[in-house]
Amino acid sequence: MSIDQSAVIIYVLFWIVRINGCFRRGRQPLLRGKEWFFNVHVQPDFYTGDGRKILHRYWMRMFIPFALDIPLAITIFHIGRLGLLQWLIVGLCALIHLNHLYSVELAERQARRFAVPEADQPVTSMALSLTPRRLRDYTNPYLEWVMALSSVVALAWLVRYYLATPEHHNLRLVFGTPLVMLYLQAGYLFLKRALVAWRTPTPRVQAAEHMEAREEARKYYLKVCDWHRAAVAAAIVFWPIALNASPAGLDRLRNIWFAIWLTVTVVGGVLVEIKRRQLAAMAARVRPVTLPDFLHQSDLARSPVCYQPSAPLLLLKGAHGYSLNLANGLAHLGAVYLAGLIVLFALFPLAH
Amino acid sequence: MFLTIDTSDPRPIYQQVADGVKELIARGKLAEGAGLPPVRQLAADLGVNLNTIATAYRELQKDGLIVIKHGSGCVVASRAATDRSHDELLRPLRTALTEMVLAGLSSKTILNLVTKELGMVWKESK
Repeated sequence: MSIDQSAVIIYVLFWIVRINGCFRRGRQPLLRGKEWFFNVHVQPDFYTGDGRKILHRYWMRMFIPFALDIPLAITIFHIGRLGLLQWLIVGLCALIHLNHLYSVELAERQARRFAVPEADQPVTSMALSLTPRRLRDYTNPYLEWVMALSSVVALAWLVRYYLATPEHHNLRLVFGTPLVMLYLQAGYLFLKRALVAWRTPTPRVQAAEHMEAREEARKYYLKVCDWHRAAVAAAIVFWPIALNASPAGLDRLRNIWFAIWLTVTVVGGVLVEIKRRQLAAMAARVRPVTLPDFLHQSDLARSPVCYQPSAPLLLLKGAHGYSLNLANGLAHLGAVYLAGLIVLFALFPLAH
Repeated sequence: MFLTIDTSDPRPIYQQVADGVKELIARGKLAEGAGLPPVRQLAADLGVNLNTIATAYRELQKDGLIVIKHGSGCVVASRAATDRSHDELLRPLRTALTEMVLAGLSSKTILNLVTKELGMVWKESK
């Protein structure tokens, strides 16, 4: 199977997942029944009046990524550079998530005008969990050891392969992909740290249910990160095997790799969908509440970025949206990570 | 295990956090050597300034109830390590008793209330 053929299969798979995602996102506003619009407790006639328009507009905004995707995909198929489909998928994934976040925020803001009068009143009592959250509590040591050892062995093998006859090998070809993969690993670890730090504000009423829903969601996202890290580790191991294979063997290897990837993706996709439904059911059981704003975030977050060393949050919620707190440690780590990525790609053309 | 923070409570938030942790230690729900969350985690969960939680932890440390270890976080201190004088320990009790007298409760009612509360705390800490 050629790279172009596999790109087309991945693109078709992406469409199936997206259509399912559209149905899932389409049901989200009504997850708690007709008294609610997402997390806004609305008046009883909401869906017969203005709420209907808000809901329809929300549904229409879900199709924005399609409006961009379809002409671009047609162009790619027309010019015949099917490898570009992979980059289209990467771009669309980011666009779909950003569009969804913006769309939900906008729809909720619009729906708040039709909320029941007491809905915006913050609760007076909050519960605070005293269980420490540490990355190691959410880490499987066996998986970490397997990933670390397999990566070290693969990299040691690559060094040996290169040093055996350096004049015959291209430095970028031998080490480029594994280095990018290792950097991705670091990125997933960074993401895991951010997920562990993800705040859990809990009202006193239904505290245990709120906490359970948030913890389950946290564990799910962390597990997804680990699955991706395992795939990245497998790619690092695959690389020296691929370098050593003959041209005919490489084709067979690539087909085996793709078949395994496809199977794991389909099975993983089904499992993810089941888990998402469980999480949605769990989230629907807890009643959303407005929590007191002790930090007066709207005063701190007046622009898209701010610098508030005493605020422990990465994102502060202002009146017109979120503001990135540049004083937060995660923001520093994120900046270092991005800078490292730029340096890595800048150094690539220099390696021969 | 939860701490409760109430916005209608006249005590400042740091005091509510410190008092809540003290109560959990007294009731035996936070055992000796048990780890407490880092300041950043509690501050983020509650959505308060970092200094608010740091002040609460400092107060608990001053009272000898927790030990702050740099790098490994806060742990509940050994009960034997609390070397506070009787006078110091009696001060909050005197304040509470004064409040009750001023509220017009009879000495018998106060005694009953104190005995009942002590019984509950003692029972749970066993």
